[in-house]
Amino acid sequence: MKQLTLILFALAIGTSAKSQSDYTKSLSGIEWVKIESKSDIILKTHTTDELLIKNSRSSEVSQRAKGLRLIGEGGSDNTDVGFYVVQDGNTLIVKNLRKNDEGEIYLPKDQNVSVKSTWNGDIEMSGFHGEIEADAELNGSIEILDARGPVTANALNGEITVVFGKVNQDSPISIYTTNDEVDVTLPSDTPSDLVMSTTNGDIYTDFELTREEKDGLKSMSGRKVKATINNGGVNISLKSTNGTIYLRKK
Amino acid sequence: MKNNHVSDLLPEYLDNTLSDSVKQKTEQHLANCIQCKLELDEMKLLFNAFKNDAITVPSDRLSAKFEAALNQEKSATAKVVSIAPKKEKSNWASNLLKVAASIALLVTSFQIGRVIQSQKNNQELVVLQDETLQFKQAAMLSLMENQSASKRIQGVNYIEEFPNPDEAIVKALTDRLLNDENDNVRLNAFEALSNFTASETVKTAFIKTLEKEKNPSIQVAIIQALVKIQEKKAIAPMQKLLEQEDTQPFIKKEITEGLPKII
Repeated sequence: MKQLTLILFALAIGTSAKSQSDYTKSLSGIEWVKIESKSDIILKTHTTDELLIKNSRSSEVSQRAKGLRLIGEGGSDNTDVGFYVVQDGNTLIVKNLRKNDEGEIYLPKDQNVSVKSTWNGDIEMSGFHGEIEADAELNGSIEILDARGPVTANALNGEITVVFGKVNQDSPISIYTTNDEVDVTLPSDTPSDLVMSTTNGDIYTDFELTREEKDGLKSMSGRKVKATINNGGVNISLKSTNGTIYLRKK
Repeated sequence: MKNNHVSDLLPEYLDNTLSDSVKQKTEQHLANCIQCKLELDEMKLLFNAFKNDAITVPSDRLSAKFEAALNQEKSATAKVVSIAPKKEKSNWASNLLKVAASIALLVTSFQIGRVIQSQKNNQELVVLQDETLQFKQAAMLSLMENQSASKRIQGVNYIEEFPNPDEAIVKALTDRLLNDENDNVRLNAFEALSNFTASETVKTAFIKTLEKEKNPSIQVAIIQALVKIQEKKAIAPMQKLLEQEDTQPFIKKEITEGLPKII
């Protein structure tokens, strides 16, 4: 009986210690977290093995909506922070149901994450070492900082900025945009087989490229550059249809 | 007999070898028929010419010379033909020949054996390469089903290992192009397939993609590929895209520029 009260007490303290309505969910058995949102998404890392969604709902809306439940396209709010969270096998699906407020989500740094912005939302994430998939379907942009795992990212009207802390050599990297810029920074000693192509944009880099040669002649086509850096390694492809590509070394 | 000329009988008549009755009839005909008489006279002339022609007989000197030459030839041949004593003499040589022949046989059989062996080795190598290709194909197909987009792209990029991909690989790639939820994977699948536009499966998949793909980057790449191979079946979906309001302006531009090129 004494133990039970102690546990209850601990639980009570634990929940009250968090800001009033933050949402958490354990990530044990979860391989992928898929996040979908119409508005901005900010992804940060933390040290506990759980999903944490900070409540950023403006108080005015909270007051008016008190006692009511938010209903969105993908499902209804089952978190009290404007998100719909459901587990599907080893995947945790997280949907931001609100169209204007940004969501701030915390995950452990080794978590594989897939983020999709379906309307105007920008995707910002930093410090993730697992695999990253980012998709800005319409007007959003993507900014990924200190990435260490394989990255696949694409954006339609927004730009993509990716800064790699280290490039994982196991699995290819693919980044492309349709209408805006691709800006990628790699550590200067990254070995890689590079393909960069843009139909209507330009390509800039400060890397020493070893261009593909045919009969001793270097390819000088501006549209598509195939080259190796640091003697070649994992495939990295950077593409754009109408945007310019920047490849920087750090 | 009047109408039957006797020209066929004339040589026998002249040689006097005809039977009496025939000879009589011939003479009767000849008396009446000027044509046959003329022919007889001509033949007579010819026969006489043969008879009178002097037969040239070789001179004594020539025959003597010929006899001498013949004798010389005979004696010379006799010398060569005398095989028996020579056979005994060349016994050691023929033995040497036998040894040489056996050595040659040995070397040839060894060489043949080696060639066959190396062919076998080559076959084994081919089988091995075949196995690695099959292994690669299995790896490729399984990677393309992976949960991770990056791994799926890795699987798609394996296409570089297959200069002549079989139908299973092409099908798996077109599945990716048509159905993968990740845009990057679809774009990579398109790029992998764009080297095999001669295949009907690929063409059909491209046209289907044009009908359902919403990503402008993939749309524009597909349009360029279809215009390049002048695929007529692509005209209808392209015109549909032109009419749609949500089609990006640069896609419409690409189509209006591309359509006239498909003849």
